[in-house]
Amino acid sequence: MAKEVYRFSAGERFVHWCHGIAFLLLLFTGLGVLVIAFQPAMNIFGGIQVSRNIHRVVAVLFTLGMLVGFIGKGQGARQMRRWFKDVVNFRKADLAHAKNFGIEFFGGHKPFPPQGKFNGGEKLNSMFTILGTLGIVISGYIMWFASSMPAVVVQWAYPIHAACALFMAALLIAHLYLGVLHPDSNQALKGIFTGWVPAKFAYEHYEKWYNEEAKETIRE
Amino acid sequence: MAKKMVFIDTSLCTGCKACSVACKAWNDLPAEKTRRISSYQTQADFTPTTYTYVRFKEEYYDNKMHFNMLKLQCFHCDDPACMKACSSDAIYKTESGYTLVDRDKCIGCGYCVANCPWGVPKIDEATNKMYKCNGCIDRVENGMKPACAQVCQTGAIQFGDRDELMPKAQARVAELQLTNPKAHLYGDKLMGGTTYVYLLQDRPDAYGLPLNPTSPISLTLWKDIVHPLGGIAIGASAAAITVGVIANLLRGNYANRAKNIAESHDEGGM
Repeated sequence: MAKEVYRFSAGERFVHWCHGIAFLLLLFTGLGVLVIAFQPAMNIFGGIQVSRNIHRVVAVLFTLGMLVGFIGKGQGARQMRRWFKDVVNFRKADLAHAKNFGIEFFGGHKPFPPQGKFNGGEKLNSMFTILGTLGIVISGYIMWFASSMPAVVVQWAYPIHAACALFMAALLIAHLYLGVLHPDSNQALKGIFTGWVPAKFAYEHYEKWYNEEAKETIRE
Repeated sequence: MAKKMVFIDTSLCTGCKACSVACKAWNDLPAEKTRRISSYQTQADFTPTTYTYVRFKEEYYDNKMHFNMLKLQCFHCDDPACMKACSSDAIYKTESGYTLVDRDKCIGCGYCVANCPWGVPKIDEATNKMYKCNGCIDRVENGMKPACAQVCQTGAIQFGDRDELMPKAQARVAELQLTNPKAHLYGDKLMGGTTYVYLLQDRPDAYGLPLNPTSPISLTLWKDIVHPLGGIAIGASAAAITVGVIANLLRGNYANRAKNIAESHDEGGM
């Protein structure tokens, strides 16, 4: 069997899937209100009124799942905080990687400087997700409790909520492609289920991280 | 059907509140428990079962208190923000100038509530449907006055074809302006021109009305920019990954991947 290194702690994987599954449910139920043509699809859940309630319940799980991941002293929480610190720290080497994004996306390859645990592209995706999540969560609760908010605040919450939802949906499509369909980067897919990724893949994509940290966790 | 108009002449209103009672009677709306919120006003706002009420704003002129009385209901804008905000195409305009809600389509999302510059629509939390003044559409399209105009004893609420009633309203303003230069019409030029037009005897804010009600900019941003751009972003993303899969196939990356992994297995990894 190929050698593997440890990439994602249980806490990180939990937050990822909490966020991902909740987002899919929120997107599906949200589209029922956002797009009229999508409304009949809400019958899957028993109609638009049921799906609107599901949207609220899942929204709470979406918020809690995300917050809980960062709290505490466990390995997962420490790794979550590290992820946050890492991705907002966008340097030259990250930019150099992100510039090549288009080439790699369409199956080409161009050398890039050694990357840390999260490469430039992942950092951008993470930052967009953090911003989108903050925007959608805050605007969402404003819309939920609209009757106790000033009208102008509610009015602005609508375009922000829609923009974040649609933009994150577009991002999700690309994320699914890179994680599942892209012949090179989809080697990482196993990592988000088991925590372990192929050592060769880790070396090729995150050389700096591999040499500084991942190497020590290598297993057959 | 010709465009209709309701002209509310505040200089003739005595604040008898018969209009709000007639509205309840014709529209079969239940009475609500009210409380006194100022010296003569008992209804604070619209509710799902109160489509019209009289606001009594207490203003002082020459140290004398005066009730600025205003019978409020849906303005029936020509270009309504509620209709643009509606998530479900439930709000529509009639040729006669009324803004109506199709409650079979309404899902109670409340987007209309937040975007109406006058705060007219209200959601019934029990049924998740929006309720507001329907202009007594069943009466006016059958040759009758709306219930509020029918019952008004002083002629403060007049109803007619817009072409005929608007000149009368303008003449009335000109008449009042001889003694009160502040007299003006409110609504005729707002939100594309409202079906309910007021004659006010003071600035709109002296009646608790917004000075310059408009459709929110956020609504334009939301419906005309965010929605189409969001759709384009999703479409572009889907197109990009389709091209990505094809490009990878053509470059032979899928076949190479299988080979690479097989090799790395043989080598035992790195």
